[in-house]
Amino acid sequence: MSKLTGENPEATGLPEAINLQPAHLRLEHLVKSFGPTKAVDDVTLDIPKGSFATLLGPSGCGKTTLLRTIAGFYEPNEGAIYLEDQRIDHLPAHRRGTAMVFQDYALFPHMSVFDNIAYGLRLAKVQRAELNRRVHETVEFVGLQGLEKRWPSQLSGGQQQRVALARALVVQPRVLLLDEPLSNLDANLRERMRWELRSLQQRLNITFVYVTHDQSEALAMSDWIAVIKDGRVMQWGDPWEIYYHPRTTFMAEFVGAANLEPVKIVDRHPPTATVIWHDYRLELPAPEGGTADQALLCIRPESITISAKPDASARHVSLPGTVTRKAFLGHIMRYWVQIGEAEWIVDESDPGANPQPFDGTVYLLCDPHRVHLIAQPM
Amino acid sequence: MKTLTREPMLGLTLLILVALMFSFILYPQIQVVLVPGLKGYFAFFAEGMWVKPLVNSLEAMVLSTTTAVILGFLYAYAMIYSDMPGKPFFRLIGMLPLLSPPFVVAASYILLFGPRGLISYRLLGQSWNVLGLGGLWGVQTIAYFPFAYQLIADVLARSDPRMEQAARNLGAGPWQVFRTVTLPLARPGLASAILITAIYILEDFGNPALIAGRFTVLPTQAYGLVSGFGDFVGAAAVSTILLVLALVLYLGHLRLEGSRSFVTVSGKASSMPRPPVPRLVTWGAFTICAILSGVILMVYGVLVLSALTKAFPANWTFTLEHFDYVRVHSLSLRNTLVYGCTAATLCSLYSVLLAFLVQRKEWPGRRIIDFLAIMPAAVPGIFFGIGYATAFNQRWLDWLDRGVLIIISMIFWNIPVAYRAAMAGLAQIDSSIDEAATSLGASSLRGFRDILFPLLREPMLTGLGTAFVRVVTTLSVVIFLFTPSTTLATITIFQLVNDFNWGGATAFTVAVIGMAIAVLGVIWFITGRRAIMTHSIGG
Repeated sequence: MSKLTGENPEATGLPEAINLQPAHLRLEHLVKSFGPTKAVDDVTLDIPKGSFATLLGPSGCGKTTLLRTIAGFYEPNEGAIYLEDQRIDHLPAHRRGTAMVFQDYALFPHMSVFDNIAYGLRLAKVQRAELNRRVHETVEFVGLQGLEKRWPSQLSGGQQQRVALARALVVQPRVLLLDEPLSNLDANLRERMRWELRSLQQRLNITFVYVTHDQSEALAMSDWIAVIKDGRVMQWGDPWEIYYHPRTTFMAEFVGAANLEPVKIVDRHPPTATVIWHDYRLELPAPEGGTADQALLCIRPESITISAKPDASARHVSLPGTVTRKAFLGHIMRYWVQIGEAEWIVDESDPGANPQPFDGTVYLLCDPHRVHLIAQPM
Repeated sequence: MKTLTREPMLGLTLLILVALMFSFILYPQIQVVLVPGLKGYFAFFAEGMWVKPLVNSLEAMVLSTTTAVILGFLYAYAMIYSDMPGKPFFRLIGMLPLLSPPFVVAASYILLFGPRGLISYRLLGQSWNVLGLGGLWGVQTIAYFPFAYQLIADVLARSDPRMEQAARNLGAGPWQVFRTVTLPLARPGLASAILITAIYILEDFGNPALIAGRFTVLPTQAYGLVSGFGDFVGAAAVSTILLVLALVLYLGHLRLEGSRSFVTVSGKASSMPRPPVPRLVTWGAFTICAILSGVILMVYGVLVLSALTKAFPANWTFTLEHFDYVRVHSLSLRNTLVYGCTAATLCSLYSVLLAFLVQRKEWPGRRIIDFLAIMPAAVPGIFFGIGYATAFNQRWLDWLDRGVLIIISMIFWNIPVAYRAAMAGLAQIDSSIDEAATSLGASSLRGFRDILFPLLREPMLTGLGTAFVRVVTTLSVVIFLFTPSTTLATITIFQLVNDFNWGGATAFTVAVIGMAIAVLGVIWFITGRRAIMTHSIGG
């Protein structure tokens, strides 16, 4: 039996760095119920100043409810919301300084682009010269020059999106709330707007709270991600942490694809645990909590290499299996490989480099550093 | 609730609206119900003189509703489903009766079929007695089938053509589609349209007053008790019976409307055409519509002829002298215009604000206020009028101009139409639009003013137009409220008919309809030429 050591914390994200910056937006034990169902269930989060924080979760998980509670459209049943150390959950929605960008943009259809953007400034009774200057500045900032006189109905989806963004940014909100703002755009534009939004946020250094159900969007844009399920925060961390150190099976399967296999813990010496996996003895960082002698081993499909031959170097785990299915997805070739009872998903990058797809008996090679243990619930 | 206490202005606005509603909708109605007192009710019920009118009312309601709904359905089906020629013309003709007091049909009927009528006497040499149930049945059928048509057309138009296309696609023939898809989908809507038509007919006061003769129905009995005997107690008891009947029908309608949301698929009209109907059906539809519009044109044509001839139908000499009555009674025409415009405007403003508070805000008692706002639709005009008379014709209110009282009664009697239009309009506007304004720093009322109010212009003007038409055409509500200086056009027509001054009455009717069309034309122009009337208190 080979003995291999996995996971070096220094090489990955830095979980201990979380929340070292001062909290800017602070949610404390927030609860929001609709009748008997708790849409938001005891959520506590510290969102650092100037960060891009994403609330990620499947539809109906309560992420939008949470965002709308922050905005003041819903009244929390319990808990408190602080913004810059000021308690804001007692304030009416229009006094919170939390501008929001809506999924359907919610542009005012009877106002021109200029008037849409100027609306918040007019409410704040900003002088006309100052108002014009700020609107033009923002128009330029989001790249809407020349469209000021148009009506919202005359704009494309991407342009409407920019107007919605400009309208919210121009009032210099203390925090900008975004509710799936990209979900109505087509795939290419969505991709481009991701980068625009992210770079915009970094240039302005405004705290963003962003709601999405799209994991790749969350990973690509965020400083911090809170994964939400049934109104609860399942995990809070940076994208790296969320992707490579999922704490539960839900987390592993919701964000990306994952291979999960129960393994036996033979030795537990925090911070490490030794598990037996096929013919290998792996020393891996111990999972938090869970039963003492069982854990789930988690490997991402792209962390496994598929090969016609076993690994010669002995630095990798090397397991023989049989290809049962395969699918060509363009940028990758996805294989389903049967190893004993379990079926593994393996992604081969750049499939074009290998004109002859694998078939029959193959070997799966994986670096123990890419393997991760998830606690088996008691 | 907390949002209301956090925005004091909003809470205050709500309080005012609710207080007005309690004073002008609930209070007068409770007054009527309480007026007879327990003893009064006992005496009244023991006396038994209400039994015959009740039976008569129900009989007339069942007969007239049945025929009006059948004709209305045929007309609506022809308009929505067939591709017959002349639809715009038929649509216009179908609108015409909504613009005049329903009881002018009775006047026209007497001119045509009465003892000295054009057809009965002049053509056939007969001198029929047209008063009674038969005449009433015929007149109410003609007067109310256009209402039934509007209600049913609305239901049919909202059914999704895709369902019918799908059924055709699966191999169903036209008749099968109608029987298995169209009708079941429309059934709850149809039933609720029938109930609303029944309420209209049950409450009808003008037609039975002119043509029913000794066939007394509840509204005419209530009026007779007051005008003949000054018996407010008896009138209150009679109209309470009427109210109970109407409320039962209305609650049935509300129930059906609740269930309707399951079947009608979307509020938006789909652009997909309906499957074609066979040629035979198209031509049948055309024939029916042609006959029915012929009848409507005849009814109004007779009015115009009578207005322009010396003594229709005996003397056909052209004259304009009847229009002198318009000048003589110009006060009532002016009152109708002024009261109508004022009441309709205030009513639509009140309704749109109330609809906003009910639909967009949460507060305890919201459901009750929502119900109170649509309840006047079930309140018979005669009951509403007696309510205002008992509650507000008081010594301590003597300083109040009676015109103001009429305006207030018209505002609150018409709230259901304007409120429904505003609710429907609001439902079309996603709440994220006003939330966007809020998140940019607008208080609820400011957001309402800047964003929702301009966007609701169309439903508001629809409510305004309908409320105005209802003021112009109502007789029963105001018959207990008018004074010589605050008389209204419908009252004048009614009095002229009762004096058998046919020339004056018809000339005046023509003038009233002309005024209504002019006002609606102005509104139509302002709205950018969109629909300006909802034809129903229900739809």
